[in-house]
Amino acid sequence: MSEQTRPVGSDGDMSAVVTFDGVSKTYVTDSGDLVQAVTETSLTVQPGEFVCIVGPSGCGKSTVMDMLAGFHEPTTGEIRLGGVRVDGPSADRGVVFQQPNLFPWMTVRKNTELGPRLRGVDAGERRAVAERFLTMVGLEAFMDRKPYELSGGMQQRCQIARVLANDPRIILMDEPFGALDALTRERMQAELLQIWREKRKTVFFITHDVEEAIFLGTRVLVMSARPGRVVLDLPVRLGDGRSGPEMRSLPQFTALRDQVATAIYAAQGAVP
Amino acid sequence: MSTSLAADAVTSSPTGPPAVATPRPRRRRQRSRAAAVKLGVFAVLLLLWWAVTAARLVEPLFLPGPGAVWDAFVRANSCHPISTGVDRIVCGEQNYFLWEHLLASLQRIAAGVSAAVVVGVTLGFLMGTVKPIATVVEPYLNFLRSLPPLGYIGLLIVWFGIGDVSKIWLLFLAAFPPIAMATIAGVRGIRPTRVHAVQSLGASRWQVVQHVVLPSSLPSIVEGIRIAVGFAWTTVVAAELNNGIPGIGGLAYISGTQLQTPLVIACIIVIGLAAIALDALIKVVGGLLVPWHGKA
Repeated sequence: MSEQTRPVGSDGDMSAVVTFDGVSKTYVTDSGDLVQAVTETSLTVQPGEFVCIVGPSGCGKSTVMDMLAGFHEPTTGEIRLGGVRVDGPSADRGVVFQQPNLFPWMTVRKNTELGPRLRGVDAGERRAVAERFLTMVGLEAFMDRKPYELSGGMQQRCQIARVLANDPRIILMDEPFGALDALTRERMQAELLQIWREKRKTVFFITHDVEEAIFLGTRVLVMSARPGRVVLDLPVRLGDGRSGPEMRSLPQFTALRDQVATAIYAAQGAVP
Repeated sequence: MSTSLAADAVTSSPTGPPAVATPRPRRRRQRSRAAAVKLGVFAVLLLLWWAVTAARLVEPLFLPGPGAVWDAFVRANSCHPISTGVDRIVCGEQNYFLWEHLLASLQRIAAGVSAAVVVGVTLGFLMGTVKPIATVVEPYLNFLRSLPPLGYIGLLIVWFGIGDVSKIWLLFLAAFPPIAMATIAGVRGIRPTRVHAVQSLGASRWQVVQHVVLPSSLPSIVEGIRIAVGFAWTTVVAAELNNGIPGIGGLAYISGTQLQTPLVIACIIVIGLAAIALDALIKVVGGLLVPWHGKA
């Protein structure tokens, strides 16, 4: 497993270095069979990187995310954030789920200020933080609505605002745009890039959409199907002034896309 | 600093609820038609009842006509001579007006169910969150749940006397298992990702309970309370079999033993209507409490 270190965000917070050290995950199914979801994986992610993990469904990419989030413990090895072993979920690692996961008993605003509220930040301050991030994702007019009054795309923006408002050291996103229609998805991708450029936070982004991975990532990891392992670790450098959708038609973009797609097909071929 | 796209607000039309398949006026028309059908069926049943009794197909002692039931109802709510040709005036039945009997029963149900909500919800939360407690307590809860209230009313009278205490205990024992079960179901039915989401925002164990587990299980608890109140109504007659005056169940029972069938039927109708009204009230209050139910 080759190790890539790309100091993209040199101004990044060094306590946000993520290391996977011989991490694997084996499940016991209900019928008692052992299933190896992820084979021994080691890698280092520098602060400010935007890491996209792509692979066929069932390749264990969500397992990687669950372990990093602290929802599941690795069977072997350990994951460290800033040198400290990951042990359960925490506000260090903000998670954007595929489903918006907003709490319907709270307004959009209350949802967004929940993280600071849990930490005991006083009402005025957390309100200001929530309003800033809701404005950033374009929900300033909907702050006093209930989540179920919003469209799927808007709910997803609110979830992103909620995670940003909690100021995590790294952000994990598990196919966050997977449930959105194509048009909304492209808009959300562009917005996410813009936010990332401002914040320069490390992002782990899981997707099965190759174009999405190349469009967003500074580094693309391709995972093979069960047992999941990283088969390609590809730096993506399409210029730092990466702008809009026109990037998708650049020759470098198509070349990278083909490279990743080929790796995925090869990996799928290995499925027993 | 805004990276938003105003156009998105237009395409996603967040201003109203999601489009409903049937437009509003049509839905209203369908609803009024359904109401008309219900009313028609009711009228037919009433007519049938009247016809059967008017034609004397059934002995009035067994099935009095609608008129006799109405008279019994009016009599139970007014002061009247104790019998025809006697000067002594009595009020209501068994010295209480019908509404006083109903109120007495409602008070018992309120006391029993309130205690059941406190105990049932607490126990349900404990059982839903602490596995060993559930393992130990669940068999007893199921045992209690399957007992018919009439089976243990005698024991409760021995323990708590013939007054209101034993009645309220009976109603409590009937009402708390469904509330506890519903609370457990609510707690266990919470989507793990909801808990994960709040944990990743930094929530402590108690904060998870406070911000996610409690509100998430609220719709289920409201349903449990509705079922429990229904149970309490079916139990109230059993609770009031002994020394149940005032009490609508007690009145129904005593009138039966005294062969006052019109009054029995009047009591049954009042119990039924009161139960439906109470259920509707809980549904409305529950809807205010959990406006997101069925939407998220």
